Amino acid sequence: MKKLLNLEKIKALSYPVFKTLMIIHFTLFFLVVLSVSQINFSIPNFSIKGLFQFPNIWKFFPWVASWFNIFLTIVLISLVGNEFSFKTFRQNVIDGLSRNDLMKGKLLLILSIAIYTFLMVFIAVLIFGIIFTKDFSVDIMFDNFYLLLIYFIQAIGYMTLGLLFAIVFRNTALSIILFLIYFPVESIIRLFFKVNYRNYFPLKIISNLTPQPEFLTMTSEKTYINSTGNSSLDLTEIGLLPKELPLSTTLIFAVAYIGFFIALSTVLLNRKNL
Amino acid sequence: METILQINNLSKSYGNLQAVNNVSFDVKKGNIYGILGPNGSGKTTTLSIILGILSANSGSYRWFDEPFSKLARRRIGALIETPNFYPYLSLWENLKIVAQIKDVPEKNINYALGVADLLKRKHTKFGHLSLGMKQRMSMASVLIGNPEVLVLDEPTNGLDPEGFAEVRNIIQSQANEGKTIILASHVLDEVEKVCSHVAILKSGELIANGRVGELLSSEETVMIQSERPEELSEILKNETNIKNVYFEGDDLAVILNKEMNASKLNKLCFDKGFCLSKILIKKQSLEDQFLELVK
Repeated sequence: MKKLLNLEKIKALSYPVFKTLMIIHFTLFFLVVLSVSQINFSIPNFSIKGLFQFPNIWKFFPWVASWFNIFLTIVLISLVGNEFSFKTFRQNVIDGLSRNDLMKGKLLLILSIAIYTFLMVFIAVLIFGIIFTKDFSVDIMFDNFYLLLIYFIQAIGYMTLGLLFAIVFRNTALSIILFLIYFPVESIIRLFFKVNYRNYFPLKIISNLTPQPEFLTMTSEKTYINSTGNSSLDLTEIGLLPKELPLSTTLIFAVAYIGFFIALSTVLLNRKNL
Repeated sequence: METILQINNLSKSYGNLQAVNNVSFDVKKGNIYGILGPNGSGKTTTLSIILGILSANSGSYRWFDEPFSKLARRRIGALIETPNFYPYLSLWENLKIVAQIKDVPEKNINYALGVADLLKRKHTKFGHLSLGMKQRMSMASVLIGNPEVLVLDEPTNGLDPEGFAEVRNIIQSQANEGKTIILASHVLDEVEKVCSHVAILKSGELIANGRVGELLSSEETVMIQSERPEELSEILKNETNIKNVYFEGDDLAVILNKEMNASKLNKLCFDKGFCLSKILIKKQSLEDQFLELVK
């Protein structure tokens, strides 16, 4: 494992495109959250600062970062696509790696990128949360922390899907284009299915891991009591948000899809000529 | 003698194209095995299958008398077709990857670069090298783990005469160390000089296989001249001990079977009423043999 991780480290960290894209990813994320934190709107009883306060920030930051997971997937596709275009997968096998080793190496790369983005969001949450929250205890500070762990699973989900695209199409540009096209294509396909089934499609499941935060509730400075007696606005109930699957169900399906993407990629990598 | 590689009835097709058809041969320890064949004869496909890059449709192969394994791969240094490295990495970084895969110490990197005469360029990016240097870099990666077996597919491709000689010297020195070498090449003279054994492929089929000396001595070509050469040619073509007859300029080239020799041919022609004005035994090179076989 250590050897495979070292190999991936040499391949990725010395690749100028990888370094550039990772710097852009990091900078863009911080620019976006910093810009949003500076927004001031003059609606009575509502403040943007609510998004940056514990524990709301654990919902808001992973949701913002989830958009950049697509960016990370593109980085991953370009790294895997290179192995096919440079025929280096082939050379690695000639030199002594098995095809399963190639797969394990790429999974370790996915895990490493997911850990990087997890830590990036975690540190950002701590910095912004501490700055914007006036009074908080450790309990409140880490309430909703599990949402960041779910974001970590989401990052892995997007990247394993990207890995599958790269292994199927073996061409960086084609894989990236088709991966991006898959987003609207899946949305269109979903329309042909009954509403109950629409939530079970792979991209829908993965993107629902970080659902859009209830901005109205989170930015509200007053407490609203909904019909179920909860002290928040239930936007689904009042028809402002569509009904989604419970997060636990979504998580189970997401993990199953990740397993499926990995299994299919492994089978294809083992069966296809290098 | 220990069998290093055993190939049994290997076949591979791409759609309707039969790239390799029922190929079988053994490579013993210390053999320098040349694989010859025109373009598209199945040389690279055969080598790619035995290195696990391609999967065969049928047949099997064993390395070191056991099924191909990760450990077996590390005992083999191989170069297939073009050099395949990360263009954005330096030569040293590329070889570091190879060294890590093969579990060999990093000090071997400098040794391998030295053998390939690339030590001064160790920090140059692979993508910036000329084709000849890339080929030498491939040789460095082949040698890095001090492998027992070298599998080389057209190792002199794209090299200038100097580079060609350097790579030939590397191969020769490895052969002198008693290593087993499997060498696919178009350069027949090279194979004849370096190899102890040769397998000739044509359209995916193995058409000849054995020691280079045996293949060369099995047949003899005699160049003859006489009056009425066309008539003589037709007569000789019907003789059982004569394999082939063809014109080469004014001469008639006669390829004899083992049972026939130049003096018997002279007598045969005389008995048929032809007096030969020229009779010259031509030593057959591997190239003649190869061209004859793949005709």
